Amino acid sequence: MISVGMLIIFGAPVVLGGYALSRQDGSFRQGLVRAVEQFVKLVPRMFCALVAAGFVAKLIPSEFISRFLGDEAGVTAIVIGSLAGLLIPSGPVVAFSIAATFAKAGAANAALVAFITAWTLFAVHRVVIFEIPLLGFSFLRLRLLSVILLPFLAGLMTIGVKQALAWVAVS
Amino acid sequence: MTSETKRQWLMALVRDGFGKSFWWFFAFALGMGVVCYQLLGPQAFHEAVRADLGLLADMLPRVIAALTVAGMVWVLLPRDRMSRLIGKESGFWGLVIATAAGIITPGGPASAYPLLAVIGGAGADRGALVAYITSWAILGIQRILIWDVPLMGVEFSLTRFLISLPLPILAGLIARRLPLSLSLMEEVRPDPVGSISRPPANTETHQK
Repeated sequence: MISVGMLIIFGAPVVLGGYALSRQDGSFRQGLVRAVEQFVKLVPRMFCALVAAGFVAKLIPSEFISRFLGDEAGVTAIVIGSLAGLLIPSGPVVAFSIAATFAKAGAANAALVAFITAWTLFAVHRVVIFEIPLLGFSFLRLRLLSVILLPFLAGLMTIGVKQALAWVAVS
Repeated sequence: MTSETKRQWLMALVRDGFGKSFWWFFAFALGMGVVCYQLLGPQAFHEAVRADLGLLADMLPRVIAALTVAGMVWVLLPRDRMSRLIGKESGFWGLVIATAAGIITPGGPASAYPLLAVIGGAGADRGALVAYITSWAILGIQRILIWDVPLMGVEFSLTRFLISLPLPILAGLIARRLPLSLSLMEEVRPDPVGSISRPPANTETHQK
């Protein structure tokens, strides 16, 4: 099945490459050289990191963690959800299946929001495979300090919205 | 390009790909494999390896496509117009534009990070860079449609999306105020193309 996402991902290089070729000023070749350079830089590391991430994902005790994410745990659940998000060194397949495990075990929405936000922001595999080789440590440091509070904030706002909705429903 | 510079370029490529950090990764993967084998047994080990190889085979074509896009964008991008849109003088709207761009960027980290490096080289300011990658991470529409919605439900995904909408802008504002120096990766190696010089790395020191 061909999805819109696939169409964009594989259509874009064809369209852009065609345009670069049509300029006939060496743009196409330059772009290709850069792509090859980045490919060689990233793929060997990606291979190792993916394999390592697969093992780490097997080792994460998600059933155990989900016990601390219930509604009654409140802000603590947000903190634990955020920390759990930091642990997932892997792509969306693993992260979302863990999130689904949490949800099935009765995790609060706020904790789930904090978990997903923390994972998307700090996913270790992404940092080591892409961010450090392509942007460098000084960018990593700046970015981490800029976003460090966002998972907690997102979790707190989820609680706030829920209470506001409950208040509206009552009155 | 003479054969001599071509050889140098290839050598630099191999050094880049299999440098020190590669071997750290390799050792880490090996170590984790041993731990997994010892704690969970051979079956879990084989399962993990099979899943990883499947994932890699799945990812490689996308990575090639994404890097081609990033390479072409790098060549074709009108840098002066870019830096007016999201450069140092772009203010609050620069952050909004960067956030919107992050939401609609398709593909995984293989497309987002090379594009981030491109706009960094084109003179985007630190706030816009942080807002862009934060937005792609927490709001990226493709991931939400493929993963959030099917696994977590529409209501949850929509709530999370709306709640998180202002967060990349907030992160960008924080990034602009943090007293940290930022120097983006500079690519130091022989220039294989030669005709057009590379754009200077965006070396920005703290100024506010």
